[in-house]
Amino acid sequence: MGVREAAAPGRLLEPRGDRLLREVEQLERARDRQSRRNTTLGRLAFAVVFLGLWEVASGRFVDQFFVSKPSHIIASLWAMIIKEQLFYHLRFTIIEALVGYVIGAVAGLVLGFVLARSDLVYRIVEPFVVGFYGIPRIALAPLFILWFGIGITSKIAVAAVMVFFIVFINTIAGIRSAPVQLLQVARVMGASEWDLVRKVVFPAATPFIIAALQITVPQAMIGAIVGEFISSNRGVGHLISRAAGWLDTPGLFAGILALLVVVLLMNLGITSFGNYLMRWNPKHGNLRDIQ
Amino acid sequence: MSTAEPVIVARDVYKVFVARGERRRRRAFLALHNVNLAIPRGRFVSFVGPSGCGKSTLLNMIAGLVRPTEGEIRYKHAPVTAVNTDVGYITQDDNLLPWRTLRENVELALEFRGVALVARRELSARYIQMVGLDGFEHHYPHELSGGMRKRAALIRTLIYDPDVILMDEPFGPLDAQTRVILQDELLKLWEGSGKTVVFVTHDLVEATALSDEIVLFSRAPGTIKQVYDVPLGRPRDVFRILAHPNFPAFFDRLWRDLKEEIMDVELGVS
Repeated sequence: MGVREAAAPGRLLEPRGDRLLREVEQLERARDRQSRRNTTLGRLAFAVVFLGLWEVASGRFVDQFFVSKPSHIIASLWAMIIKEQLFYHLRFTIIEALVGYVIGAVAGLVLGFVLARSDLVYRIVEPFVVGFYGIPRIALAPLFILWFGIGITSKIAVAAVMVFFIVFINTIAGIRSAPVQLLQVARVMGASEWDLVRKVVFPAATPFIIAALQITVPQAMIGAIVGEFISSNRGVGHLISRAAGWLDTPGLFAGILALLVVVLLMNLGITSFGNYLMRWNPKHGNLRDIQ
Repeated sequence: MSTAEPVIVARDVYKVFVARGERRRRRAFLALHNVNLAIPRGRFVSFVGPSGCGKSTLLNMIAGLVRPTEGEIRYKHAPVTAVNTDVGYITQDDNLLPWRTLRENVELALEFRGVALVARRELSARYIQMVGLDGFEHHYPHELSGGMRKRAALIRTLIYDPDVILMDEPFGPLDAQTRVILQDELLKLWEGSGKTVVFVTHDLVEATALSDEIVLFSRAPGTIKQVYDVPLGRPRDVFRILAHPNFPAFFDRLWRDLKEEIMDVELGVS
C-alpha cells in the first residue's frame, strides 16, 4: 500500500543507527537535566542577590522603618507563627479564597456554557454582563459585608465575584472560538448536541478557560484579603492591617510573605492541572527549537 | 451515464446566500441555479469547476449541512432535511481534534455512535494498520506529518462504513508526491468496496485519474454544464495515468470546456 513517508518507531534496528539514536537521546536528557539545574540555580542566585541587597541597603540607604529588613521579617514571621497563631489565621484566609474561587469558577463555567450555546440569549445578556464586568469588583466588598456580615461568608462572596466574571467571559470567548468545520465534521459523524459540547466545544475552549483559572487565583486571594481589611477579626488580612495599625513594618512584610507563599502554591497546583488538560497542545517553542 | 440506481439526486436546486456583514450592506447572491443531477450507487464522481461555482455548496447540501433555497436533494429516495449522518465527510483541512491522539480521533465517530470500547479498539487497530500508521496511535495530530494526518482523517471516516463518502478537496494542501500516494491509497481502499464517492477538486488530472464520472460546473452562479464518463478502465495506475492512451484527448476536452468558464470571467464577459 504505497510508500510511507515516515519510518515507524522501532524500524531503526540497524546497529549503527540504533546506537546513534541512543546517544542522541542520552545527550538530550543530559541537556535537559542541565537546563533544569541552571534554572534552579539561577532562581536561587536571584533570590539571594535580591534579599542581600535589601538587607544591606536597609538602614544604610533607605530608612529601615519603611522597608524593614529580611532578617527582621523572618524573625517577625517566626513570632507571628508562635505568638499570633499565623496558621490559624492563614486557614481562614485560604478557606475564604479557595471556596470563593471554586464557587466563582464553577458558576462562571456553567453560566458561560449556557449563555454561549444560545445566540439569542447571549445577545440579550451581553451588554449587561459587560457592564457588570466593568464595575471595580472590590467596590462591592463593603456591600457584601453589609449583606453577609463580618464573618467568613462575606469574604467568600468577594472572592467569588472577583473570579466569576473573568472565568465567565473567557468561557464564552472560548466556546465561540470552536472552529465551525470541526463542529460540522463531528455532526456528520453523528455527534449529538451533548457529544459536541463534551468532545469538541469544551476542549476547544480549554485554553481560554485554563488561562482564566490561572489569572483568577491571585484575584480570589485579593478578594479575601480586601474583605478582611475592611472588617474582620480573623485572617491574614486582619493580621496585616493590625500590624499596619501598630506601625509594625516587619510584621506587615511577614504577612505579605505568608500570602505570597500561599498564592505561589495555589498557582503551582492550577498550572500543573492546566498542563495536564492541555497536553494535546503543541509546546510553545523556545529558541533552541528553531535554531 | 451509468444505469445503476441513483443514491443521490439533486432536483431543481437553487441556493441563495446572504452575505453577512453590516446590515445595510447585506446582499443576497445566487450560488447555484437549476442544478439537476443523479449520482449512481457505487461510482466515483468528481465535481470540477471554477472557484466559487458552488460545488462545495452542493456537497454540503448532500451532507445536510446546507439547505437548498429551492428544490431538493434526495438521499436514498428520502429528502435530506437534517444533517446526513449516513455519509462520510472529509474536508480540505484534516479536522482532527487537536486534543485527541490519533487513535482517539479515529474512534471518534464510533464513540458518537455508541460502539463499545473493545469493538472500537479492534476496529481502529485494523484501520490504523491498513494505512500503515501503527506505532503512532498515541501521537497527537501536531506530532504527525500532513500525509499521516490525512490518512487518519480518511480512516476515521471509513471506520464507520458510510455508503457514501463526500470529499471536499481532500488532498489540496498536500505536497505533490504525498498527494499521488494518497490518491493511490484512496483508490485501493475504494475499489471493490461498493461505496459511492463524491469528490470536489480543482485538479483536472486528479479528477480524471480517480473518477468514473466528472461533473463540470459553470462559473457562478453555478449550474451543471456537462457530465463526462471518464474513458479509463479499472483498476488504474495513478502514478502512470498521464501515459494512458485515452488520457490526452479526454483531458484536452475537459480543459477546453473548463477554460471557457474561467477565461470569460477574467475577460469580464458575461
